[in-house]
Amino acid sequence: MRTLTPRRVAGICGLLGAVLFIVVVISLRMGAYPIAVSDIVKTLVNGALGRKDQIPSDLALVIFGLRLPRIALGILVGASLSTAGAGFQALLRNPLADPYVLGVSSGAALGSILSLILVPHVPGAIQAAAFAGAAATTAAVYFLGRRGGQLDSATLLLAGIISASFLSAIIMFLMTTLTGRDLRGMAFWLMGDLATPLPSTHLFAWFGFLFLVFFFAAGAMYTTASDLNLILTGEQEARHLGVNLNRVKLVVYVSASVLTGLAVSVSGAIGYVGLLVPHVMRMIFGTDYRLLIPTSVIGGAIAIVVADLLARTVVAPTELPVGAMTAIAGAPVFIYLIRRRVR
Amino acid sequence: MNAAIGNSALGSQAGAISQMQPARLKVEQVTYAYSATDRSAPKFTLGPASFEAGRQEIVAVLGPNASGKSTMLKLLAGLVQPLSGRIEVDGSEIGELDLRMRAQRVALVQQESELLFPLRVWEYVLQGRYPYGRRLRFESDEDSLFAGNALAQVGADALRSRWMNELSGGEKQRVILARSLAQQPSLLLLDEPTQHLDIGGKVELLRRLRKLADQNRHTVIVVTHELNLAAEFSDRIVLLHKGKCLRVGPPGEVYERDLLEEIFEAPLEVEMRRNGRPRVILRAEH
Amino acid sequence: MAVASLPAHAQASAARPAPRVVTDEAGRRVTIPPEVNRIVSLAPDLTETMYALGLQGRLVGDTDYCDTPAEAKIKPHVGGPMNPSIEAIVALHPDLVLASESINWERTADAIARLGIPVYTTNPHTVRGMVDSFGRLADLLGASQQGAALVARLNNRLENLHARLADLPPAHVLFVVWLEPLTTIGQNTFIADALRWAGAESIVLSKQNWPQLSLEEVVRLQPDYIVLADSHSGEGTRTLDDLRAREAWKDLRAVQERHVAIVSEEIDRPAPGLIDAIEELAHQIHPNAFAAKDNRMVPGANESRRSAACVR
Repeated sequence: MRTLTPRRVAGICGLLGAVLFIVVVISLRMGAYPIAVSDIVKTLVNGALGRKDQIPSDLALVIFGLRLPRIALGILVGASLSTAGAGFQALLRNPLADPYVLGVSSGAALGSILSLILVPHVPGAIQAAAFAGAAATTAAVYFLGRRGGQLDSATLLLAGIISASFLSAIIMFLMTTLTGRDLRGMAFWLMGDLATPLPSTHLFAWFGFLFLVFFFAAGAMYTTASDLNLILTGEQEARHLGVNLNRVKLVVYVSASVLTGLAVSVSGAIGYVGLLVPHVMRMIFGTDYRLLIPTSVIGGAIAIVVADLLARTVVAPTELPVGAMTAIAGAPVFIYLIRRRVR
Repeated sequence: MNAAIGNSALGSQAGAISQMQPARLKVEQVTYAYSATDRSAPKFTLGPASFEAGRQEIVAVLGPNASGKSTMLKLLAGLVQPLSGRIEVDGSEIGELDLRMRAQRVALVQQESELLFPLRVWEYVLQGRYPYGRRLRFESDEDSLFAGNALAQVGADALRSRWMNELSGGEKQRVILARSLAQQPSLLLLDEPTQHLDIGGKVELLRRLRKLADQNRHTVIVVTHELNLAAEFSDRIVLLHKGKCLRVGPPGEVYERDLLEEIFEAPLEVEMRRNGRPRVILRAEH
Repeated sequence: MAVASLPAHAQASAARPAPRVVTDEAGRRVTIPPEVNRIVSLAPDLTETMYALGLQGRLVGDTDYCDTPAEAKIKPHVGGPMNPSIEAIVALHPDLVLASESINWERTADAIARLGIPVYTTNPHTVRGMVDSFGRLADLLGASQQGAALVARLNNRLENLHARLADLPPAHVLFVVWLEPLTTIGQNTFIADALRWAGAESIVLSKQNWPQLSLEEVVRLQPDYIVLADSHSGEGTRTLDDLRAREAWKDLRAVQERHVAIVSEEIDRPAPGLIDAIEELAHQIHPNAFAAKDNRMVPGANESRRSAACVR
């Protein structure tokens, strides 16, 4: 029985990274606008070398304006949701936990609805409001989820479920009072979709900022990986081995919530990814969080890029929302996983 | 026999050796009070209790139910702070050690392990090395060495690659013990470890503890209400009754018939065996 | 701009119209290229309008749902109005994309505009506004003549209708958007305005666009007519029978008197066919007003079918 080493982690991540790369290349190739692989490669190379003028404007438009940003967004969202899911499953000691169980997505949806009502047509307002809603919900559930001043898994889960219901009720109420046109925008939140409005300027900086937030949050969670391994064998046992339960729970809670808020602000509540990717990675690579977190990051990215690829091509030229694809694919995977456990 | 608290010139040879070195565990005038709520009067108090234990000693904290045994264990593990008094392990007060330092000195062996996800025995035992090194760490060769030794010492080396949830009760207990051993503790604490075992299992466990104490020079504290097992295997008894520490000393000294009858509320008879250890039996009623 | 000071190639191109910057009906500033030869329509109503203006030759793509007129169905599709494939749109190399606030999402238009493709969004709130919008659109596309003709024709019909109905009190109608839950229209909707042109007034005055109603309220208000939009007018009798069999509905005065009007679903579409739907409705609820033999108004004249004749 081998011990987990940094080399092994790096090796597996490299393998998964290669799979992600292949999936990205395939995704770049697919789309309503026919482009040959050679043209894709040429465009990418020219773009990387800064030779923008050598790229035909249409190709630049489709590859750099449409496909690459969407793939990048998919990677960000998939990685964020899976990592958050892995974190919440450990924190809440519940294999059924997904990133939305603590109400973060409902808070984000409420934030975006409020911004539609109060400040429509302000670019970026929806996303900022969504993130604010997510943050507020995170804080509220944190305070509700404490017992004796410390985060308690069962209390936290209860607090989160109640908050999610309450917020959903408010959202329902608001939706019935909104006018028809604004209402349609909300369907996006319920399903989850990668066709989010991107900023027209400073796209690179925007992405850079989001990825930075992702790395901070995921990195913070990774520092607790050893602790989480212990916590999963029992909280008291972990305490006796020297784990600072309060600190670890707080770090995991905040980082997982930030990751969820990040994903939901830009793409709505895409389902199943946060729940299933960690489980699949566990099945293949084991339950050690020092490996599970990085594999969930890459695995989640792969999952969303593939789902989006299918969503864009399955009933072309109509585009399905990504959330519909993850639900269609996710349900059977979920059933399979449940049956394996029951055995 | 001298039943003075805290000191015993007589006793097992191991006890005599430990007198020459500074006691590894020192419990001095420790008291503790437990209240149902912050404002109500204390429901239960423990102490003042004092005793010492040295290397290679097995100490049984003995008493009937609700005598304060588990509270004593929690105090020794550092889970709760005493109201007054000191608990020292290897010269440092337990309450002042940070969590990881404490885990390097004191290992609490749990009864069961509620695993959320499948885990292999090897991974489980390796976790015992957590208190050493950085928080986020990958195990070193040294860690593997200690974990391997621990498994060998409990005779579970063959179980290395097995899944934890596939083990039998006895195997699991041994593995849990191995994880505690991997911590390389000075103090090994066990809470009623013989509860679910049959007589053969009980004897095997205590023999193993004896061997471990000798080999690794642990100080072993076992909380139990099993009079005869304690008498047979421990070097020292700490006798508790309703929160009060009544006697401390080798079993031969502590097991007085009247005292035991009063504490355990049962008609008892104490026999002395040839090896100097007492045996307690139910007195026949006429 | 002094022509003499321009370089040679600019002098040649000065003959062509320069790109114009206009503000569309959604408030977005759009740069219309000098020549608009390739148009993609993202809404069925706009597709219909294109045909009515005789511009279908320049229409290079529309949506899956564009079915009026029938020829629109064979144009290349870019997906549904709510979730078109941006790439498919780009692949058609449009000079201009047309969107309609009534069915397209703002962010779809944003996404296209962000890529540098001009998107013009229409957003009429009233029937008159819609007709004016046709004219503006036609001007934008260099089809002012056809636009003026269409506008004149439609306005004419509206005036005639108005003349006939002016002296009659408006009928109180319940416009049923959805039967269960019972949903009707608010004051500010397009349909409400269309109803007014047809000589009807909704019994419900609400600021909400799609207010839900209890049947009790309907019983209390006892509308003169119940109006439903239906894509297959032939289902008219069936719907009446259906209502006459329903509890509570069957006791309504309107149902008992067989005052149930079915109009085509064009009543909700800001397209030329709306005028047909309005006339159709007016005929049903004010039959007496049309006893005169004025045959300038032919009920059921189909605007979109008419356009086919204008193509050459």
